[in-house]
Amino acid sequence: MTAEELKDLKATKVVDARGTACPGPLLEAKKAIGTINSGDTMEVLSADEGTKSDLPKWCTKQGHEYFGTIEESGYFRIFLKKK
Amino acid sequence: MEKKKLCLALYTGSVDKLTAAGVILSGAAADDMYVDIYVLLQGARAFRKDVGDNPDKLNMAENADMKAEFLASLKNLKVKTWVEFFREAREITDVKIHICGLAGKVWGGEKLEDFIDLADDIVGIGSYITAAQEADVNLFI
Repeated sequence: MTAEELKDLKATKVVDARGTACPGPLLEAKKAIGTINSGDTMEVLSADEGTKSDLPKWCTKQGHEYFGTIEESGYFRIFLKKK
Repeated sequence: MEKKKLCLALYTGSVDKLTAAGVILSGAAADDMYVDIYVLLQGARAFRKDVGDNPDKLNMAENADMKAEFLASLKNLKVKTWVEFFREAREITDVKIHICGLAGKVWGGEKLEDFIDLADDIVGIGSYITAAQEADVNLFI
């Protein structure tokens, strides 16, 4: 997805994990994805640099669809769709 | 995707290494791994009910003189305690925690009730070796 498309995306679930360091955001994402349905979208907010590469890899490995990441000032918005 | 197995020989009873083990467990949990933890010698002391994640009763494996700074930094970063990491991993994936019988005795723990409620059973070394042979990932911490 392009950055413009991502900005317009209204995710089913938004997980704000900006308050935690690694492995916090990954675990927040893992727990949250269990609460949404197949085909739903999720947005994870993280200020942790490691999470920026970790989360897309985790997402793909788990079979979910990784849409992309938007960099904001001081944090990232990571978008995905549950398989 | 078939679930992979992680086998962890947890020898350490130090707060820094237990925290590292907790972080790795979190990764394994996020990846839906089966986790078998075998708590060996020093580790069994940390699992005693009167120790657990009480920082005053745990030492550092390295940089012992920087324990206060280390713990303060973890707290500042909102990092969980090692017991919280272990507990959370167990909520997410299949984690079994086995106390080595010998290790328990060394620290005065004969029965499962002597240890924090994370411990599932007390076993012999044969169980560890079998689990290690069957695991996809083996770690000694």
